[in-house]
Amino acid sequence: MDPLALFVVFLKASALSLGGLSSLPLLRADLVAPGIATDDQVVQAIAIGRISTGPNGLYIVSLGYLVGGAIGASLALLAASLPPLVIVPITALARRWLLATPVAGLVRGVALATAGLLVATGIGIVNASGTPSLWQLALAAIGTVLTYRGTLHPAIVIAIGAAVGLALGR
Amino acid sequence: MSAREFGEAWALSQLSPGIHLVALAGLIGRRAAGWRGVVAAVGGMMIPAAAITVALTAAYGVIAASPVARAALAGVAPVTGGMTIATAALLVRASARHGRAHLVIDVAVSLGFVVAATLLGVPTLAAIGAGALIGAVALGRERPTSRESSVG
Repeated sequence: MDPLALFVVFLKASALSLGGLSSLPLLRADLVAPGIATDDQVVQAIAIGRISTGPNGLYIVSLGYLVGGAIGASLALLAASLPPLVIVPITALARRWLLATPVAGLVRGVALATAGLLVATGIGIVNASGTPSLWQLALAAIGTVLTYRGTLHPAIVIAIGAAVGLALGR
Repeated sequence: MSAREFGEAWALSQLSPGIHLVALAGLIGRRAAGWRGVVAAVGGMMIPAAAITVALTAAYGVIAASPVARAALAGVAPVTGGMTIATAALLVRASARHGRAHLVIDVAVSLGFVVAATLLGVPTLAAIGAGALIGAVALGRERPTSRESSVG
């Protein structure tokens, strides 16, 4: 994929999301649907992003590497770093406006839309390889509950999935 | 910076697009040392973590095609799907602090977008635009407090 086009895809996903993993629906739509990336690569990127250090949103660096090598990773890093920084000049110029209720409502509306899209994306990932078996559905439920509760490190949750996959997935 | 300044920077960072921790680092960096502080704070947080992420991705790439890795991925995939769904729940969870009615509205609106995306095939970008419009017009009664949200 052309590096500039790849950068635009990552920048759009970052600029139109709220929070780390919320860029996933847009990235999946722009990369998996056209065949530029596979769902397996998306799963790898999410898993590595949760195991690695730094914000959750750094999974896009992993995805950038898988799609475009070192250049793809660098472009993804830049695309992930720039949009959040618009808050710095806006805060300096219009802090009161930022805290006004229409802005808060807009952010809340985008967050709720993103939540719905994330559920749809999660369902899509679980079903990506065809109809999931019962143990895979159980793993999805376990992953949901453990992540929501936040009592276990994500790396341990992923390790549980890998261990069950090794035992039952062959 | 004082605890109050940090709290305000946190609240403002939750309004930013993209990774909120980048926005928080940028706001703290600007407060500490101007635009050079922004570059230092964001670079210091992102570059080492990105390098580790790339190294892990490259290391996994060596074994990605092996039968063992494929079997493990069959278990990791549903877990990451579950993690994605949990992230959605975390986005909505902050509403619980504003009372039951607030939570019911947020859950109902979110479920509406699940239906729109899964059953009606509404494009992702259109859904986000609709969410922004609905939020600005009808949901702007309270300022969001996302301290509880752990979505990065």
